[in-house]
Amino acid sequence: MTQERASEEKPYRRLETQALLQQIAFRHGLEAMEASENGNLAWVTSGFPVEIPIAMNLGVVYPEQAGAIIGAQKIGPEVSGIAEDLGYSQELCSYARVSIGSTEKPDEVPIGSLPTPQILLACNNICGTVLKWYDAISEMTGAPVYLLDTPPIAGEQLPHNRAYVRRGVERLIEFIGSTFNRTLDDDRMNEVADLSSQATRLWIQALEACKTKPSPLNCADRFLTMAPVVSSRGTEHCVEFYESFVEEVENRVKNGIGAIKDEKVRLLWDNIPPWHTLRFFNILASRGVVFPADTYTHAWTGNMVGVDRSSLLDQVVETYSKVYLNMGLEAKVDKMVQLIKDYDLDGFVMFSVRSCKRYSLGQLVSKEIVTERTGVPGVIIEGDMVDSRVYNQAQIETRVDALLEMLM
Amino acid sequence: MAHGFTPSLIRALPGTASGYEESLQTFACSYIRNLYSQRANGQFLTLAGLLFPGNTCDALQNLGDVWKVRFPDDRLFRLTYPVTRYSNDDAATKFLAEELKLLSQAVASTFNRPFLTESYNRAVELVKDFRESAQFLYSARVVNPKMIPYAEVVRIVRTFLTAPTISSASAVKEAADTVRTTAENVGLVDTIEDVRQAILSGDYSGVKLPQEQESPRVAIAGGMVEPQAIASLVEDMPDIPSEVIVLDLLSFGFKTVFTKSPLKSDDPYLSMAESILTAPGEPTHEGLSYRIDAMKGLLSNLSIQGLIVCEQSFCDPDQFEAPSIERAATDLGIKTVRVPLDPELSDRGRIETRIQTFLETLE
Repeated sequence: MTQERASEEKPYRRLETQALLQQIAFRHGLEAMEASENGNLAWVTSGFPVEIPIAMNLGVVYPEQAGAIIGAQKIGPEVSGIAEDLGYSQELCSYARVSIGSTEKPDEVPIGSLPTPQILLACNNICGTVLKWYDAISEMTGAPVYLLDTPPIAGEQLPHNRAYVRRGVERLIEFIGSTFNRTLDDDRMNEVADLSSQATRLWIQALEACKTKPSPLNCADRFLTMAPVVSSRGTEHCVEFYESFVEEVENRVKNGIGAIKDEKVRLLWDNIPPWHTLRFFNILASRGVVFPADTYTHAWTGNMVGVDRSSLLDQVVETYSKVYLNMGLEAKVDKMVQLIKDYDLDGFVMFSVRSCKRYSLGQLVSKEIVTERTGVPGVIIEGDMVDSRVYNQAQIETRVDALLEMLM
Repeated sequence: MAHGFTPSLIRALPGTASGYEESLQTFACSYIRNLYSQRANGQFLTLAGLLFPGNTCDALQNLGDVWKVRFPDDRLFRLTYPVTRYSNDDAATKFLAEELKLLSQAVASTFNRPFLTESYNRAVELVKDFRESAQFLYSARVVNPKMIPYAEVVRIVRTFLTAPTISSASAVKEAADTVRTTAENVGLVDTIEDVRQAILSGDYSGVKLPQEQESPRVAIAGGMVEPQAIASLVEDMPDIPSEVIVLDLLSFGFKTVFTKSPLKSDDPYLSMAESILTAPGEPTHEGLSYRIDAMKGLLSNLSIQGLIVCEQSFCDPDQFEAPSIERAATDLGIKTVRVPLDPELSDRGRIETRIQTFLETLE
């Protein structure tokens, strides 16, 4: 791998809609502060059915997204250190560590610490860590935790599993209702679900546009532009953002404009990115390597369609139970194989995230199966999404170079 | 057991050579690395099948998936647990009952061995006998740790969990009978029973421990750390009497022992589910505040002066809970020490020194 070139010769193209992202992030931050001041702020996990708290007029923020921001600022080790001083092991999820660290000392984390929550909403469809993490935040802030338990499924979701999750969703509505003395209005729920679906459909449209050659988006583009569909789905401004975004993406496709200037090799990215080293993708872009697909941003593709409250709640159960991280190794392998075929990819890079066990354990096995089923080679690199102390650049470069030698 | 099998708890085995590297990263928890290595190295006894828990922790969840690929000839089953514990309705119990029923059907069809009510009822009796006796032994040690060595209690409990048979249950029962006789001679049986009921109910108002207690009195907190490993560590320490360990709160000790037994019932699956959900909470479940409150009740009412907090390396549940446990104990004025462990006790010298130094500070 070589170093990134000087700005005037950048091998990748910047999205114009990125400017809109800053506006959305700013607006989102202000709304969260106001919600917290008004006693209405929920912290939610990325796989949580956020449509319900939004429909019940709560402000929402995502600690995982805040973790990404802390990572991107390259202050992960310092903020993690605050949590480690409180006794939390360096082996624990780095999103959780920086969340605990920035909650303990918000003044030391001006960008990335979140306003005080009044409720903590976790769904374990992405991992079991979220419950323990939110329990720790609850101890620090006094905000109550609600866990929506979505027991893992293998293949089909059995009736007893569906009934249990459905009861969990109903209890969630009751819990928010009793905590904030309010009810869920059906019209508002329909409106939010519709907006959420619109945003998700637009997001899927942008992702699928990357099947074209050259790919209009690279990994880093998607990691940045996924923010609204994670944090603001169910709102009008989220839909507006993705309308502009899709327009730009489709314009690129129409005019044969790629995310990078000279696309030679198309790869799949697996797992959360190293937020502290997103230039990893730009450096590879200079060698003609683009990532038209990844498993991470394709996680936000569930659609909320229903005609009444009952069918909407059933849809919540279906959508949020069938997150592929909740469906075992086979589902993840299927997803990777499908992406490699659909996006005509030449190989794959699996980022083994030391502090994310649910996503990463099993990669050694899935790498073999994916290669066996697709015939394309892959490589595993190891590091962490936020904690740059365990990111060994030289070792990663050597491994990626070995993969590229096979492909170029 | 209702299908005619002997369930055996699979444990991490000290001294297991590596073998996991082909399938698991180094940051997998030491417990699952050890289990995988045992299987890869052919160290398991011949087993009819393996049952993995689901929805307990990410590491075990993924291990089950990896195992299925790497050892396709093994007969694997999965029992998925609900994480919800405090829903104030029966949703979690119903879910678990259905999971147990599905497991039973899978076992029946795989091995052509039906669920027999008679066998189930015998198993209920056996488990009940074991739990009542083991609870008595644990409670007796709280009242007077000299009544029976900790190492002996955890040895016979371990034997039962490895092979729950009439013979292993009898060993626990005989030990409890012997201790009961001793306790009767010194008039402590009622006190022991009071402690047992208090631990089961969480209400310590009826507990009056003997005034003259030898000190220090230490408890062990943690998850799937092997109680016997802790017992052997303390036993090997010069000048430290083994009676300092009054109680453990570990998964394969206290938490198993103080789970209520299932009942003979027309709906055995529901009865088993109800029993399982009475287990003193694991950090894999919701309810940190409930667990911490329960622990505080134990520590403050049972005159505990020191707490050794064990954590398995790379174990999310252990490592997330440890700071809360430490803070809660400190709030009560109880001294604590954190001990990171792996099943191989690969850093045994340092661990021993750490525990020994801690115990000396309590004296």
